[in-house]
Amino acid sequence: MFPYSRRQVLKSTSCGFGYLALAGLATESARAAKAVAPLAPKEPHYAAKARRVIFLCMRGGPSHVDTFDYKPGLKKHEGEAPGNIEGAASQNGRKLMPSPWKFQQYGESGLPVSDLYPNLAEHADDLCLINGAHTTLPNHPQALVQLHTGQFQFVRPSVGSWVLYGLGTENQDLPGFVTLKPPSRLGGAQNYGSAFLPAVYQGTAIGSNGQSIREAKIGNISNPRFDVKTQRKQMDLLQQSNQDLLQRHEPNTELEGVIESYELAFRMQSAVPRLMDFADETPQTLKQYGIGQKQTDEFGQMCLMARRFAEAGVRYIELTHEGWDQHSGLKARLTENCGATDKPIAGLIADLKQRDLLKDTLIIWGGEFGRTPAAKKSDGRDHNSTGFSVWMAGGGVKGGMRYGATDEFGITAVDNKFHTHDLHATTLHLLGLDHTKLTYRYAGRDFRLTDVHGNVADDIIG
Amino acid sequence: MMTDAEADGTMYPPLKRNDDNRRRACVPIRCRSWLYTMFARRFVRKFLMVQQTSVLCLVLSLAVSTLPADEPTPAQHEFFEKKIRPVLVKECYSCHSAQGKSVKAGLLLDTREGIRRGGESGHAVVPGHPEESLLLEAVRHEGLQMPPKKQLADDIIADFETWVRMGAPDPRDGKSAPVRHSINFEQSRNFWAFREICVPVVPQSENKHWPVSDIDHFVLAKLESHSLAPSADAAPGYLIRRLYFDLIGLPPTPDQVREFVTDPSDQAFRETVDRLLNSDQFGERWGRHWLDVVRYAESTGMERNYTYPEAWRYRDYVIEAFNSDKPFDRFITEQIAGDLLTPADQQERNANQVATGMLALGPKSLNERDNEKFAMDIVDEQIDVVSRAFLGLTASCARCHDHKFDPIPQTEYYQLAGIFRSTDTFYGTGGGNGNRQSGRLLALRDDEFVPVNVSGGIKKAVRKLSGQLKAQQKRLDRAKQQKFSEKQIQQIEKAIVRIQRQLKTAREKAAPPAQPDRHLVMGVRDSAQPADTELRIRGEANERAEPVPRGFLTIATLGQAPDPAHERSGRAELARWLIQPENPLTARVAANRIWQHLFGNGIVRTVNNFGANGDRPSHPKLLDYLAGRLTADDWSVKSLIRLIVSSRTYRQASLPTAVALKADPENRWLWRMSPRRLEAEALRDAVLAVSGTLDLSPAEKSIVTEVGNGDIGRTLKTNSFAVSDTKRSVYLPIVRGVVPEMLRVFDFPEPSIIAGSRDVTTVPIQALYMMNSPFVVEQSRAMANRLLTETGNGADRIHLGYQLALGRAATSQEIERSLNFIDTAYHAGDRDKRRRPDSEQEAWAGFCQVVLASAEFRYLE
Repeated sequence: MFPYSRRQVLKSTSCGFGYLALAGLATESARAAKAVAPLAPKEPHYAAKARRVIFLCMRGGPSHVDTFDYKPGLKKHEGEAPGNIEGAASQNGRKLMPSPWKFQQYGESGLPVSDLYPNLAEHADDLCLINGAHTTLPNHPQALVQLHTGQFQFVRPSVGSWVLYGLGTENQDLPGFVTLKPPSRLGGAQNYGSAFLPAVYQGTAIGSNGQSIREAKIGNISNPRFDVKTQRKQMDLLQQSNQDLLQRHEPNTELEGVIESYELAFRMQSAVPRLMDFADETPQTLKQYGIGQKQTDEFGQMCLMARRFAEAGVRYIELTHEGWDQHSGLKARLTENCGATDKPIAGLIADLKQRDLLKDTLIIWGGEFGRTPAAKKSDGRDHNSTGFSVWMAGGGVKGGMRYGATDEFGITAVDNKFHTHDLHATTLHLLGLDHTKLTYRYAGRDFRLTDVHGNVADDIIG
Repeated sequence: MMTDAEADGTMYPPLKRNDDNRRRACVPIRCRSWLYTMFARRFVRKFLMVQQTSVLCLVLSLAVSTLPADEPTPAQHEFFEKKIRPVLVKECYSCHSAQGKSVKAGLLLDTREGIRRGGESGHAVVPGHPEESLLLEAVRHEGLQMPPKKQLADDIIADFETWVRMGAPDPRDGKSAPVRHSINFEQSRNFWAFREICVPVVPQSENKHWPVSDIDHFVLAKLESHSLAPSADAAPGYLIRRLYFDLIGLPPTPDQVREFVTDPSDQAFRETVDRLLNSDQFGERWGRHWLDVVRYAESTGMERNYTYPEAWRYRDYVIEAFNSDKPFDRFITEQIAGDLLTPADQQERNANQVATGMLALGPKSLNERDNEKFAMDIVDEQIDVVSRAFLGLTASCARCHDHKFDPIPQTEYYQLAGIFRSTDTFYGTGGGNGNRQSGRLLALRDDEFVPVNVSGGIKKAVRKLSGQLKAQQKRLDRAKQQKFSEKQIQQIEKAIVRIQRQLKTAREKAAPPAQPDRHLVMGVRDSAQPADTELRIRGEANERAEPVPRGFLTIATLGQAPDPAHERSGRAELARWLIQPENPLTARVAANRIWQHLFGNGIVRTVNNFGANGDRPSHPKLLDYLAGRLTADDWSVKSLIRLIVSSRTYRQASLPTAVALKADPENRWLWRMSPRRLEAEALRDAVLAVSGTLDLSPAEKSIVTEVGNGDIGRTLKTNSFAVSDTKRSVYLPIVRGVVPEMLRVFDFPEPSIIAGSRDVTTVPIQALYMMNSPFVVEQSRAMANRLLTETGNGADRIHLGYQLALGRAATSQEIERSLNFIDTAYHAGDRDKRRRPDSEQEAWAGFCQVVLASAEFRYLE
């Protein structure tokens, strides 16, 4: 007879799940090789506004002047060269093209949003439009890697990994950092990698670009051999053997960790698929996300999955929507992209709000840069890194706000400039982490996500 | 009143702006990263060259118009005295004046000369140019933050802006010598790691019975000084398993265990050690340890991830080096300067060149537009790997400024940089879409390695041009049919000729090598014109200061350093300097790594960092003893391993005792052998060995070689690298960003990182892998087949399973509960009549999986 019940086993584990025994603690890190629970929830540096992040990554560089950065100046100067203003050279000598879409004011705040986002615009009073965003390079590979790791010159941990390292995660049955359909190129796994942070902090990819999210699975989540009951018997046999070993070696937190990891894995087998299955969602909810409608089905499912992960306690959730690199075919393709994401994102905000989760879930929308206000062949825009827009919602940011601004045409951020480093600093701040204090010792010095950069945009914090 | 400076006009900014004027200061406290912004700005500037020029013109015209044409007015002086000087005195002088306790950043703000010259990295104040004046950036806390703890009031900041704009009138005369942060090397040499290696006297301890070797005496002395005692010897069954995994990374067979348990004599132990050291599997185990350190991988990683199809040669070279017990000093020399050695024969010439692949394997940012920066990034990566792998020093920290913690001045970084800048690196990615930094390879031609082009990415160009050609030919046909004008037809014909020409070139480039078996190698060669390189201000590739003569690190030079030959790169001398007997670091670092792989932790646990921020040795004398033995035994790695495993310290049991665990929970004083987990490769190899499917033949080349050149995620799919064979894990493809799942899940280090020791994490993803992965499920089935065919009786099968995997017999309790489970699993399908024809095999496989997933299998006691 098995001498320990599962409950006893769990009780006996002193350090909780996720044991990290470190041969020379985390490579070249701290001295004390003590047992720590690396994924257990950790206290932030100070009171957090947000407990989790949903990052909606619009890969390719969405056009800000056609979506969230209203520039009447473009109409006035249509067909002209941008003139002598800073950053004009990035327009490659092309002529200014006004947005083919109309902007209207929404909500009590009267935020201007283009007609591309009618559903999202209904939540204008929850949105904080950051119009003065800018980044270092107008180049996809570097900009995307910098967006995800703060750096493009060296391999560095991703934002999600830093967050997980700083805060742990609230549901040990699930990965703490998931990324849905991440790109396989432009840095690939580097964009959710943990670099020199321990491997437990790396992101778990679910699905890949081009694959339907319905087919996406977390690896090794189901047993190909036994039914659950038999597998439980198998687990009992395994845990008996592990307990015998532990008895010989007691106390041994590392072995306790192994025992617990098996129990958790066993639970994950049912918890994860359940979470990724929408059977318990009402038809209204599905509809709210645009699930079942051709245009919005895929991203709607991703957004709903994000909500389910958020609700279940996953700390950092990223969703990638590809194809915003509209050098040509802007009118058709931007319409298509916004159409595919508008309703799902609006649904996500509404749903989170309804469940009282928006207040501590930080939603970030943005790409690696924006697009030039000057046109390429009258139906395309190039890369614009000197000024573009991202927006945030929930998680303690002020709604109905426009923060920062680009110049008259949307070329260069001129007011409350918000670099990618500032995005990172502000994200960490909202999560209760001081970006200057969240450090990790590697190769003889302390590293941080923002390196020596980053300013928290205090004005947007509610 | 007119000061001298004003009289000679030095207070006015020069109208012709030279580089100096564009320098920006870097506050050293956080300087390295400040640089990154600078890099970034340069990038943008490069990128927006046109804009740069126009803005510059604008600034110039503004500057000229706002400059004070005359000497400062009394009002301006008053402004300085009232608004500026008091703030400088109060807020800045404590760190930035000659009277200050220590001068930070080499920046003196207490004279006009000082404030204009600025600090280590440039001008703090450029009169008339607020946007160029770093002081203003610093007080505004834009990037730099000064004063560091608080920000000055807005009106004060505005005053400073006004002052700079009016030309920064400043009556403060006096010279302030440029402050150079100087390192006191003599004093620095007191640090343990920089002291000469002295072979210590072996200590004598109270317990005369326990020690069997010098190592034991050192360990026992420490234990006794901490009132601890060593543990009993490990039982032979555990010891033999430990020895097999430590030396060859594989479990002993049941017969091998039985033999040793029957005769666990010292002689039998010694014979086993020798046999293992001499087996081919030794190099596969120990070579992999080294591949971690030198961030071995088969692609560039980074934003454009191009394959390195020839990287495997270096992998095989390393395995062979450990198998042949290549003296470690020779091993170092070959990796740094193999191409400069005189080989005895063709085989040696080849190995020497392949060895230099170490310098070429690093991650590379192929999308980089700035060639100089790309070159300096490669140099940096090479300095990083060489200094950390061989010296345990983070010399790369001195790229932008003097090292913050260790005695490595920035100038010495550029002494080393000159050596690597005089070296060409051949990494063979070819060029192509998104790869702006095409890389060539080396090929053996007669008696020499020569650079050759590779075809990467060019096939696409061929396709594109072929398409264009077809289209033009169609156009031509149509034009002729429809009787276009002669001129139009001529135009099309011209276009066709042009495309044909381009296509020919592209085809030549894309063509497979003329000799199909051409021996292509990654590595380095001396460049055509070796030369010293300039110190780069704040590490910025294009901000050149004076050239620095090539040379080595002063702190690690206790004897006479070789003089880098100026007509060559200096790598040969670098290697000679590293292996000099007087070098205090190389042997210590090497010995420490070997110790780490046998005990789980190094004597210095930060194996790649012996500097001030690293760990201190737990047993400094023992470390020196080991380093001394390593060099004395002709740098034989095998001899040192033999010496260590023969100690009684190594043979201790790993069970804890309450007292010792309380006194020394981390086992720093080695009162037992720490239990260790099998690394990813050892775990996978052990599973294969136990299931009977392990293929011990070495891999020929790599999957990556078969896949060929290309950009992963673009021209190559990430699933192109799947491996179906059952060879040892060291032969799995290590593609950056696409590390095989098994390795990734079990703490394989990120292959872009120079990894000295591995993390040991325990997470449910690992448990899921053991429970459900196709690999483990399949291998447990193979193991079940083995049990089912090799013996007939249920209990015997359980025994065999335990013996194969755990090296011991099963207890009666284990047999009983295992058989119970197998019975349950066998009948599980009965309820709903789902019993399958292979139910028996599957039930046994379920049992085998338990053994493979058990903590006992995954750990070394």
